[in-house]
Amino acid sequence: MSLREALFPAGDRWIALAWALLCLASLAVLWSVTEPIRGPYLQLDAGVAKTIFYRQVLWVALGWIVLTVAARIRLRTLENLSLPGMLILLVLLVVLLAVGAKISGSRRWILLGPVRMQPAEFAKITFILATAHLLGRDPDRAPRPLVVIGTLGLMLAHMVLVMREPDLGTSLVFLAIWLGMIFWYGIPGILLVGAAGAALSAVIMFISESVLARQPWPWGIYLLVVIGLLALVPLSIPARISLLLVNVASGLGIPFLWEKLRGYQQERILTFFDPMRDQFGTGYQAIQSKVAIGSGGLLGKHYLQGTQKGLAFLPERHTDFVFSVVGEELGLVGCLVLLGLFLLVILRGLDTAATARRPFWRFAAVGIVSYFTFHVVVNVAITTGLLPVTGLPLPGLSYGGSNLLTSSFLIGVLLNIGSRSFDT
Amino acid sequence: MNGRDLEFRRQAYRAVVVLLFLVLAGNLFWMTGPRNAYYRGLALENRQVRFRVPAPRGRILDRTGRLLADNTFIADITLSRSGFLSGRCDSTLGRVARWCGLDSAAVRDRLAARAEKGTGRLTLVGNADMEQVVTVQERRRVLPGLRVETRPRRRYLEGPLFAHVIGHVGQIRDEELASADPALAYRSGDMIGRQGIERAYETRLRGRAGIKLEEVNAAGHVVGRSPVWLQEIVPGGDLVLTLDARLQEAMAAALGDRSGCGVALSCRTGEVLAACSSPTFDPNLLTVPISQDDWERLSGDPRKPFFNRALQATYPPASLYKPIVSLVAMRDGIVDRGTYLEPCRGGWQLGNRFFRCWKISGHGSVDHAGALIHSCDTYYYQIALRLDLDHLAAGARSFGLGSRRGGIFQEETAGLVPDSHWYDQHYGQGRWSRGVVLNNSIGQGEILVTPLQMAVVAGRLAVGNELPPVTWVAGQERIDPQPELPFAAGDLAWVRRVLARVVAEGTGKAAALPDVAVAGKTGTAQNPHGEDHAWFFCFAPADDPEVALAVIVENAGHGGSEAAPVARRWLEAYFHGPARGEADRRAAPDAEETS
Repeated sequence: MSLREALFPAGDRWIALAWALLCLASLAVLWSVTEPIRGPYLQLDAGVAKTIFYRQVLWVALGWIVLTVAARIRLRTLENLSLPGMLILLVLLVVLLAVGAKISGSRRWILLGPVRMQPAEFAKITFILATAHLLGRDPDRAPRPLVVIGTLGLMLAHMVLVMREPDLGTSLVFLAIWLGMIFWYGIPGILLVGAAGAALSAVIMFISESVLARQPWPWGIYLLVVIGLLALVPLSIPARISLLLVNVASGLGIPFLWEKLRGYQQERILTFFDPMRDQFGTGYQAIQSKVAIGSGGLLGKHYLQGTQKGLAFLPERHTDFVFSVVGEELGLVGCLVLLGLFLLVILRGLDTAATARRPFWRFAAVGIVSYFTFHVVVNVAITTGLLPVTGLPLPGLSYGGSNLLTSSFLIGVLLNIGSRSFDT
Repeated sequence: MNGRDLEFRRQAYRAVVVLLFLVLAGNLFWMTGPRNAYYRGLALENRQVRFRVPAPRGRILDRTGRLLADNTFIADITLSRSGFLSGRCDSTLGRVARWCGLDSAAVRDRLAARAEKGTGRLTLVGNADMEQVVTVQERRRVLPGLRVETRPRRRYLEGPLFAHVIGHVGQIRDEELASADPALAYRSGDMIGRQGIERAYETRLRGRAGIKLEEVNAAGHVVGRSPVWLQEIVPGGDLVLTLDARLQEAMAAALGDRSGCGVALSCRTGEVLAACSSPTFDPNLLTVPISQDDWERLSGDPRKPFFNRALQATYPPASLYKPIVSLVAMRDGIVDRGTYLEPCRGGWQLGNRFFRCWKISGHGSVDHAGALIHSCDTYYYQIALRLDLDHLAAGARSFGLGSRRGGIFQEETAGLVPDSHWYDQHYGQGRWSRGVVLNNSIGQGEILVTPLQMAVVAGRLAVGNELPPVTWVAGQERIDPQPELPFAAGDLAWVRRVLARVVAEGTGKAAALPDVAVAGKTGTAQNPHGEDHAWFFCFAPADDPEVALAVIVENAGHGGSEAAPVARRWLEAYFHGPARGEADRRAAPDAEETS
């Protein structure tokens, strides 16, 4: 293996290039974020230390090594290791809940000397590979409900364990990965449409009932639209009726469930939808992030010049809200370039998933694509105030070793799969 | 799973992804484009804080340019409201309180109560001492939002000497805040003139506070950039008083620690040269919240140190009134300069009441001049028998009695010159007797005057209509010209000559100087509450008056023995001290440059 081969892995060149650029962008943004806060500040919270940047350099280098290894490893070996690996990580997650170190209220990390490891991040890898292995075992047969239910169980196991840490954002990643892979596996479209309809109906009912001061007319309009669509779309009568019923039931069930929640739970959910309700509490991050991006404008306040960042108004600016710094300093243009790079990875990844020869490869690829899609879309939606705040890093950009190594490994696997799609 | 199926899924998945990214991009465009100004405003609001910077109050100088009042700085240890409300400081607050020697629980309760209302910063320690400031400066990183703030503090360099004339400033009270002119833009915590010059010239001394925008970081600390001034500071204007600190010192020394008052003015300019009220107090105690002990000591003192006797205290003029009675009587033709009346046998019987002369053995037979020189009450009783009360009152008013002199001090009182209308109102039409005129003729009874008014009377006796209106501040606007004296120039000159003889050979000998002829009059004001008050007023030199003054010593006894020596001591300082020759020039508004 030559040095050139080591540095530039085989497979989809666009994915490799986009990922490399994202990693470099991460270093550029973290350099800015770790500049000292202007003005006197509390020593304990004197901004983000420069060491964060140097550590991230280390993680990016390490990540690139992991990537090249993952891009060359025999995929058969990975498949063989997937189930045992997943079991090991599940055990690790259980152990973590029992004896893990509690840091700011949650047990997410295993401490290895100076390094903190987040098993939940690595569990994403093993979960994708194991699920891909299970889904791809019988390529010639039609999709079987038993396989779907089995992987659903695995997904729920991961979700529950991670949610107990507690880490809501990461636990939802498993759901997103599973949904993407099951969609690829061939679940009937009507189920997906039904689930999406039920979720939409519930959200609209919730918004009309609580946020718009108990006026149910938006939900009524939504229901009329659904009925109109069902009348137009060529479906069987039972299918139409069941879709309608699912929409009605989930919509009407929401007020009932809402009454069951405790006061503080209701308050927290309401703050998700309206950050100003609690602008110095949980709403603070959401507001400051929107202010950072919105005030950046089309071209930004220029690199290193962000005030929301530079005066420490923006919390978590090196981890979950790193995108807000990009928005503030580099503006809409910077944001769109980043989104374009991610879109390139995702769309080229989808092509890889569609053209891979072996089922395991296809499912693994689509799992990886789903992982990135969820992380990117949800993180950006949170930083721009479209979704409630929950901890979720932006792959490649946010500071943090576990997520960067996991993402790099998955990109490596994606490149690996792509490199084998057309040869042999 | 066939190829067509897979291709459909790829297209569907891709459509969903592209749709989601379009939503994100569209929202980003919405935020950074159309909504950009809104968010820029919020970002500015985040980091810009308005600070109000009080203007330094104008200085006050004496006529020679000596500094009487200026400003120093006072340090407050303050806490930002958000710093306190974050709750993060609960334990550190305890530590800070301990460093500053405060009870942490009490501090927390006080701040919690204050934090609920209003805006701005919470004052942890007002007027912190140097040790507290240094302690907090060293450790302020422990508590975000903790800051040492300085604000100007009024300093009275001569302390008690000018306490009554200059007055003092104090923190504005809620009721003053409510009634203040909104154009002056007072804020809670501002200082406002409370007495004397400080109150009279409040608008000029105060200046206008500046407002600046400072950039702060999330901890509320100012980032080191030059602030944007929304409103410039306009410093208060300086004031030059007509008083001379050396003559003021001389007056205070002459009075000593006795309760009383001395007011001196220039006969040539009408400027007040010295105005002392005793006992006095240190006004520096009142510019910061005064300690309970000091307050109780001062406000509970029966000698009333806060009371400005020159302007606020009223006494019967007693025999100091006699020159006025003489002038009215001569004008009305009741007596002449040389008229002899019935001899004094220690008093005068009117109806069933005996009006006593102060000299129980009697003065015997005296003419008009002798009556004035020896202050014979009996002679004046006999004048009073034929005197029109309203003519007497009008004569007194033409000297400036019964109205406020100078007009700039809100605390000044007018005194009282009763006339027949006044007695009709108070005793009923015709229900008062000739006896009140007898009392009036020797300056007793209902008539009340202030020491300042008596100094003006001395000045007008000295130079007649030539005496300009009384002023306290260089360049002070002179308002309402004084009434003309309705007396013949010859009569006035005669009174001057007689008053010189009062000091030379009569009751006022104690005021005599070896080289300067002094003209004056003694008085002993009856005091129903205790010892008589000793009065003396005079002008000097008798033939070419430069200066006029009035002195009262409370509860001291005879004017000749108690008040006249005070006047002499001051006149010695005036004629032989370093202030000689300067005091009869007008005080210049820009005395500082000429000094």
